[in-house]
Amino acid sequence: MKGDRVTGISHRQDQDEFRGATGSLFRIALAPTIWAFHFLFCYAGAAVWCAKFGTPGGIAFLRLSIAGLTVLALLAIAWQGWRSYRQWAPHDHDDHVEGSHRFLGHAALLLSVISFVGVVYVAMPALFIGSCL
Amino acid sequence: MIDRTPQGIYPPTEAMLAEPVPQDVRDAQEDRLRRVWKTKTGIRYLMTVNNSEVGKWYSLTCFAFMLSAGVLALLMRVQLAFPGMQFLDADRFNQFFTMHGSAMMFLFAVPLFEAMAILILPAFLGARDMPFPRLSAFGYWSFLIGGVFVLGSVLFDAAPKSGWFMYPPLATEDPGVGSDIWLLGLSFIEIASIAAAVELIVGVLKCRPPGMRINTMPLYAWYVLVVGGMILFAFPPLIAGDLLFELERALDWPFFDPARGGDPIFWQHLFWIFGHPEVYIVFLPSVAIAAMIVPTMAQRPIVGYSWIVLSAVGTGFLSFGLWVHHMFTTGLPMISLAFFSAASEAVVIPTGIQLFVFLVTLMVGRVQKSLPLLWIAGGLAIFTAGGLTGIMLAIAPFDWQVHDTYFIVAHLHYTLFGGMVLPVMAGVYYFFPFFTRRQLSVRLGRWAFWLIFGGFNLTFLPMHLTGLLGMPRRVFTYQPDLGWNMLNLVSSVGAFIIAAGFLVFAWDLLRPGKPRLQDPNPWKAGTLEWSATLSDEDWGVRSIPFITSRYPLWDQPRLVERMAEGRYYLPDAPEGHRETLVTSVIDGQPVQVQRVTGDAWITLAAAVFIGGCFILPTFHLYVAGAISGLLGVACIIYWLWTSTARIPDKEMKDAGLGLRLPTYAAGPQSVGWWAMWITMLGDATAFASIVFGFFFYWTAGTDFPPAGADHADGMLVLLSTLLLTVSWAMTMAARRLNRRGSVTGARAALVAAPLAALAGGGLLVLSVLDLSPTSHVYPAVICALVIWTGAHVLVGVLMQGYCLAGLVFGKIDPDHDADLWNVSLFWHFHVLTVLVTAAVIGLAPRLL
Repeated sequence: MKGDRVTGISHRQDQDEFRGATGSLFRIALAPTIWAFHFLFCYAGAAVWCAKFGTPGGIAFLRLSIAGLTVLALLAIAWQGWRSYRQWAPHDHDDHVEGSHRFLGHAALLLSVISFVGVVYVAMPALFIGSCL
Repeated sequence: MIDRTPQGIYPPTEAMLAEPVPQDVRDAQEDRLRRVWKTKTGIRYLMTVNNSEVGKWYSLTCFAFMLSAGVLALLMRVQLAFPGMQFLDADRFNQFFTMHGSAMMFLFAVPLFEAMAILILPAFLGARDMPFPRLSAFGYWSFLIGGVFVLGSVLFDAAPKSGWFMYPPLATEDPGVGSDIWLLGLSFIEIASIAAAVELIVGVLKCRPPGMRINTMPLYAWYVLVVGGMILFAFPPLIAGDLLFELERALDWPFFDPARGGDPIFWQHLFWIFGHPEVYIVFLPSVAIAAMIVPTMAQRPIVGYSWIVLSAVGTGFLSFGLWVHHMFTTGLPMISLAFFSAASEAVVIPTGIQLFVFLVTLMVGRVQKSLPLLWIAGGLAIFTAGGLTGIMLAIAPFDWQVHDTYFIVAHLHYTLFGGMVLPVMAGVYYFFPFFTRRQLSVRLGRWAFWLIFGGFNLTFLPMHLTGLLGMPRRVFTYQPDLGWNMLNLVSSVGAFIIAAGFLVFAWDLLRPGKPRLQDPNPWKAGTLEWSATLSDEDWGVRSIPFITSRYPLWDQPRLVERMAEGRYYLPDAPEGHRETLVTSVIDGQPVQVQRVTGDAWITLAAAVFIGGCFILPTFHLYVAGAISGLLGVACIIYWLWTSTARIPDKEMKDAGLGLRLPTYAAGPQSVGWWAMWITMLGDATAFASIVFGFFFYWTAGTDFPPAGADHADGMLVLLSTLLLTVSWAMTMAARRLNRRGSVTGARAALVAAPLAALAGGGLLVLSVLDLSPTSHVYPAVICALVIWTGAHVLVGVLMQGYCLAGLVFGKIDPDHDADLWNVSLFWHFHVLTVLVTAAVIGLAPRLL
């Protein structure tokens, strides 16, 4: 029970709402977005490489690039997961109800995990496939 | 500047909520609310924009289209029952399977999501209506007109007949009007779908009741948010594809013609970038219904709310990485196929999580056996089977074996019946008492379920085998010695059993004399839609509650009673306006009282004329189509001018419970600005699809741009870019000057801005005037980009003119500048479009 008090909704706060709101919503979508870009770069990279340089050039460079890209994406997702974990993990002064801030941290953490797995899946073809055929 | 800070007390205290409302005050308030929200009768009923009526029309129209498409399926099954049947000829069979697929997808599955959401979302959120009721009505009329046009073509032997994904060259070379009907009619409906998506996203983000934080909103709202976002990124590529396709059909621009540098595979990419997410656009809202039903039936909160959010958002993203699994046999490099194969397997994880969440919730709850749960259980069983064949098909070598056979037909029907039809049926049985205050029959419901469930498996289970035995899909008949006879006969019999089930359901749905509801909350549910009383009122909720729990009806005692007594927000309509409450995105703090639009003919007129603009060109009536389009635009401008962003009589208004809120908002605080932002995101996606085309052709072809080709005139492109950038800067300046009180300066800027824009647009067109887009795909794609950007210049000029008129006639002043904010936002996106277009047509060809 918060008791009788005057509204804390300030005009300024509301003006900044778009930035704040989209900020927190996009933060939960950050890890899947990294997955999406990793996916896009792998697909577009392979398409362009195979169309323009093709089989004669071999795809060693392509596979190495995908490996590098994958490491970068996994690091970024792991960092995002860590930040989300910090946002979610309970602090001492918390009552047990999960507030919207912590909830967004929890959702972002779970999405980081799924995106991590997704990136690993998508990178696997480059591990096994050695040509453009 | 007027101070629009909310004033008074928030959140309300228990003592304030406990204070009774005197009976005479209550009666007077109810009287006023009833008058304001009253649904019109007679012919004027068609003017209605209230979400509960529009949602009912929408749902019933979808159901009617579904039954029609189902009849086409039955006729096909008759033809296939025995080898060598003469029931349908090949041409009619082609029309039927094309229309069956197109109608089920575009006229039933996707619109039904919008219909159900318009119908139930405001109730979940304790809102009076959606933020833009006239937009819902406009969307409905567009859907009805487009749907009747497309589906009606089958009666005139003029229907499209190249399959529901319209592959070129079959579809581009098709001599009749069928392909044009498909392209133009469905584009019209897709635009209506995007409008609905915008409205639903804004509704979820900004129209929740006070106190309903983003982590306490019903799971259905999460799914609506995700699916709305997916529509914004999935539909625009198809709209862009439709544009290119129609340019090829009408003007012979060779986007998909390999002889002139085009590539039919490009259509497949655009279609499936839409088509695969679409499967999830259809599936997720139905899972959302399950996510509302399961906790009620288990009589406990969902286990793992965050996990459902994870699976909804995760599925939404991953579903965009699957589209090439429809194109495994097109000869793309193996490594490309493998990426999509991997992503197709990965999407199983989030999809599976939500099913397990439901199972766990049911296991730990006290389950009531009921009809909705029966349909959900049947749906889960069928969907799981469809998912398993999906995992098989995601493996490319397996797909090569069964591609384009009946195995695919079986798989897709298992996913769509299990993932969409049966959960939606559960939703109809579950929500019917809420819509109508009456109950559907349990006995007839059981009959319908077992007929549909049994008939379904009888029809489609054998099809796996028919497919493995090699029967291709879309053949109108077959030889008797191939071993397919019995399997096909069984499938045909099963199809009629499904139809019998739907007849039982339709009879139950439409029959008169169903028993009235005794208890307003017959399932003992915990969410807000069950807070309405038994008397049938048009106002949505009597007062907008203050929410502190995910299941307010379970956790907030006396909530229903207090809502009905009008002790919460907006219990009155003293000015005689329809209003709803706008709250902040994350924490649901009340920020504004939004006046919503009321009943009108103008939305219907706008839909008719815009419909004409899409339908008349099908028959090459281009002048009539253009006139119809102009009339449509005039209707929309009239509608905006007379009923949006009006300067209110009072700047602040008593919202109840001692809270005073502003009645006007501009910029990021206003729902209109959010709607513009979301719309432009979709618009940018369509534009990106055409730009993707440019680079696709560069990658796929060896002669792009062809040696010695004419390019767009570099100097003119540069000048045009400069002028359009000046126009953008002038629009920004107008907004700033107006805010500072310099109305004359703002007017001058708004006179200069459209002039610069028109000059810039004109130069852009001049820069490509010498190119011959029918000769090769390179000039064609350049010209398509110019058409896209040029059309947006015209829209931008119209908007600038609208704001100038607003400044002159006092609709916009320094304190009321919502229109200027929205128009500046359009121009932000537009100037980016201009810069990208200039880079692609002016720079890229000289660099590549």
